[in-house]
This record gives sequence, C-alpha cells and structure tokens, in this order.
Amino acid sequence: MMVLTKSMIVARADLRMALKVKFVKYGILALPALGPIMGIAMIGVPIFLDPSSFDLIMGYLLPTLSAMLAVFTIIPAAMISANSFVGEREQNTLEPILCTPLTDTELLLGKTLSAFLPSMAILAGVTVITSLGSNVLIVLAGRAPVLIPDLPGLFLICVVSPVMILATVSVMIIVSGRVSRVYEAYQMVGGIVLIMFIPMFGSFAGIGTGVPDLNAQWFANFVTLLIALALMGVTWVLAWTRFNRDRLVSLV
Amino acid sequence: MESSREVIISGLTKNFGDIIAVNEMSLDVPEGSIFGLLGPNGAGKSTTIRLLCTLLKPVRGTATVAGFDIIESPVKVREVTGVLPEEGNHTLYPTMSAYENLEYFARLYDVPLEEIPGRIEELLSFMDLWERKDDKAGELSTGNRQRLALCRAILHEPSVLLLDEPTAALDPIAAKRVRELILSLSEKYNQTFFINSHNLAEVQRICDAIAIIDNGKIILHGKTNELREKLQAKEQYRLRIASNLGDAEQILRSAEFVEEVTVEADTLLATIRDPYDNNPTLLSQLLDAGVRVVEFAEEEMSLEDLYLEVILGGDR
Repeated sequence: MMVLTKSMIVARADLRMALKVKFVKYGILALPALGPIMGIAMIGVPIFLDPSSFDLIMGYLLPTLSAMLAVFTIIPAAMISANSFVGEREQNTLEPILCTPLTDTELLLGKTLSAFLPSMAILAGVTVITSLGSNVLIVLAGRAPVLIPDLPGLFLICVVSPVMILATVSVMIIVSGRVSRVYEAYQMVGGIVLIMFIPMFGSFAGIGTGVPDLNAQWFANFVTLLIALALMGVTWVLAWTRFNRDRLVSLV
Repeated sequence: MESSREVIISGLTKNFGDIIAVNEMSLDVPEGSIFGLLGPNGAGKSTTIRLLCTLLKPVRGTATVAGFDIIESPVKVREVTGVLPEEGNHTLYPTMSAYENLEYFARLYDVPLEEIPGRIEELLSFMDLWERKDDKAGELSTGNRQRLALCRAILHEPSVLLLDEPTAALDPIAAKRVRELILSLSEKYNQTFFINSHNLAEVQRICDAIAIIDNGKIILHGKTNELREKLQAKEQYRLRIASNLGDAEQILRSAEFVEEVTVEADTLLATIRDPYDNNPTLLSQLLDAGVRVVEFAEEEMSLEDLYLEVILGGDR
C-alpha cells in the first residue's frame, strides 16, 4: 500500500510535468481525438451518403477501428513515459528524485503509472465517445444500434492495448538509460505502435470471402497479444534487472 | 532520530572506466560537525557526495551515514540525508511553483501531511522566499533557486546534510544567510554537514574540519583550527614601510635569522626564525636606520594559501 501511495505521488507529479510540455500536451489531446473523429466520420459518411453499402463498409471498418483507437493512445503513452524518464534527466531533476527514499520499485511503478493510467483513461474515453457518436448517427439513420467496437475489438482494447502500453513503458525504461534527449527516446520507442498494424490489417487475410473474416480478426488479435506479452515480459525483466541508478546518474 | 549522525568513510573507491574519481578515501566526520571538502574541479568532490547519498555505487570500500551503510541500507541512508546536488539551482522542477516543488519532495520524504504547510512556510520565510511561493521555480533568479533547492534539502530535517557548493551562484548577502542557516541548524539540531566548496573563506569560516582532495585522493585532513596553527607555524611576517623601503629590504636580507624576503608594493614579507627572540632585534635595527615601520604583523596564511600549497606543491 505504501509502495502504491508513493508511486501515485510520483505518477501525479510526472503527469502534471508532462502536461506542461507543449508537444506532450497537444499530443495527448489531439491524437486521441483523431480516433473518434475518424471513426464517427467513417461510419457517418456511408450511412447517409450510400446506405446500401453500410453493412459492407462496417465489415471492413470494425476490425480496423479498435486498432486505430489503440494506436492513438499508445503514442501518448510513449510521449508521457519519454518525458517522465528522459525528460527528468534532461531538466536535471532526476538526481534530487533519486536522492529521496523512493525505492526502485516505487520509482518505476510511479513512472509507469504516470503513462499507463492516463493512456487507459484516454482509451476508455475515446472508445465510449466513438461508440456513442457512431450509434447516434446509426439510430438517426433509422438503423438498430451496433456494438462498436465489436467483440474482437473490445478484446483488443481491453486486453491487448494495456499490455502494449506497459510494453511501451518498459521499453522506455531500457531506452532511458541510453539516450539523453526526450525526442531520441520518443523516436526509438514510437515504432512500437507498428505492432498494432497486425490487428489493423491482419483480419484482411480472409478478404477472399468478400468481407474480413472474423476468425482472421481473432487470430490477428491473439498474435498481437502474444507479441505484446512477449515484448512486455522480456522488456520488463530487462528493465527491472538493468534499471540502474548508477548509470542514470552517470549520464546526468 | 536516535541513530548516530556521523559519517564514516572507509576505503571508498569509485571509477568511471579508466578514470578513478575517488581513490581509497577514508574519513570520519563526527556527529554535529561541519565538514568541508576542498579540491579543484574534477578532484572527486561531487562523486564523493553522490556515493554518500547512494546515487552511485562504490567499486570498493563503503561508508556509513548516520549509522546506515550506503551499500546495505541505501533507502535508510536516503531517508536521513538531505542533498543539495551540484548546481542545485538547476535541479528544481521549472514549471512547478516554489511551494509545489517543496510540497512534492515533502511527500516523497514522508513528512507528515499536517506538518507540510507549516514547515514550507517556515523555510520559505527564513529564506525570504515566502512572497515568491507561487512563482514558478524556472522564473526565479539563480540565487532564489539555489535557496529554494536548499529548502528542499533541509525540508525533512535530515540528520546529515550533503551540500555540493551550497553558496555557489548566491550574492554575498544570500551566501551569508546560508552560512548562518548552516551554523544555526548545526547548533540547534546537531545536524552533520558535509560540504563541498570552492569558497575557501567560507569553509574557513564555518567548517570544524576540512579535507583537501585531489585526483580522488585525500591529501590533507584535519580540524580547521589545527590546520590554522600549522599555518601560523610558518612564521611569516608582514612589514609595511612608509619610507626607506630599500634600506629596510637590505636590513632584512642581511639579517641571518631572516630566511626569505619578498617585496609587494610598500610591504615586505619575511620569514623570520625564532620570532620571539629576533623580531625585537629586527625592529630596533629598522628604527635605528630611520625606516618608518607602519605595520609589523604576523602574516597568517589563509586556507587558500594552504590549499594552493597542497594542490600545487607550493608552486604559486
């Protein structure tokens, strides 16, 4: 409990600091907003302009929608954690923090939570907004409400995305001991979002049937989950064993 | 805090690749004392403080701070130490206010929640920063930031304070205030101070004991008053002459008990053997020769002289 209390103090301070950095603040606000805007627009346009193609378009759209929402929340996680780990060193505040009685666990957990919690909140928020916004248009068009995201999509958002966000943070911990600038860290870690292209496009493997195959969608999601779990597992073990105050301070 | 407040360093060694930053350092800093570590840039002063506050791990040797071993109990060591890092004024969160900076660290140091506002107000008021409490740290002047960083170091009432250049970047009034703060904390709470400084006059003024470090090795260590006695044993005297400086110089150079004479403007600096016996003789010789002696005083070597002599081997 004590560990969590201290970690939350660190997490809150880190998030506040991150939100005072322009590119992080606008990144956190603007990127996730793209998800619902794009999602609602992609559903809204066909439902009114070409109602006959609605079912077909939904068949293509739903598998990609969840992955798209997840991508737009993993990027802010990378931004916050880059600022939290490397930004602290860049602005010379790392040394006083390392001088406090915080244990490595409290420090790592705090910095992880500073990226994880807001990213999860954003993900939940954009999912709800996308679902509600889309269904308002669907109902206005005289159709029955649709589960958006669909079941594989919910799995992707509720299970795969948190693992991906944790993997992003743990990769950042490893990277933070090797770079000295936030943008370097962000560039190195930002590439992780490419993993989410697997569920975004993997379901199109079954395109021969006319619409993306549900089995292919589940398969792509599980492959993504396995990759995310492996990445998270390996990087957390590495981050935990290699987190090194000595090295971090030597870089100051 | 029931534990001892002393700092005991034994055989502490730290290297960065081939560079040995701290080499077999051994020191005892008694509880409640103010200790000054002097040395040129890159001598290993900041590394020593980073080792003592567990930021760095030694490759050999260890140290105990307030009774806790830096290797075995690093968290305990960090609980009982207050640290002002090198260039402390650059180590504050620039977009947090002065108050928020202290509040954040008070919580990390487990200061009881109900005590935090009072303690912050007391410290900020003492440092003349209370009026600036809502200003962002990044908008404060260098001196104010340094004072704020000092507040952060003492906020949790640590047993041992590790201060790296505490008065660097401070104006003379602020520096004096910090020295007074150090002396009052030492007296009131019996806190132990381990201070890195380039400011030799400051060290001479407030430190009970000093050590001089060069290339990671302690090359001189002792109580400040003992070192001062050693310095006084140099038996150097300053003679300010109002007229006949040339005659005075000749008399000094011809006296067999005068070992060394240097001339600086209207002043002669002379090393005189057995001054109790020979100074009266010398003075009467000068007066008999019509030399007007304005001042004849013992030249007390400063810590700076000692420092230069130790570091440069007397090659000043």
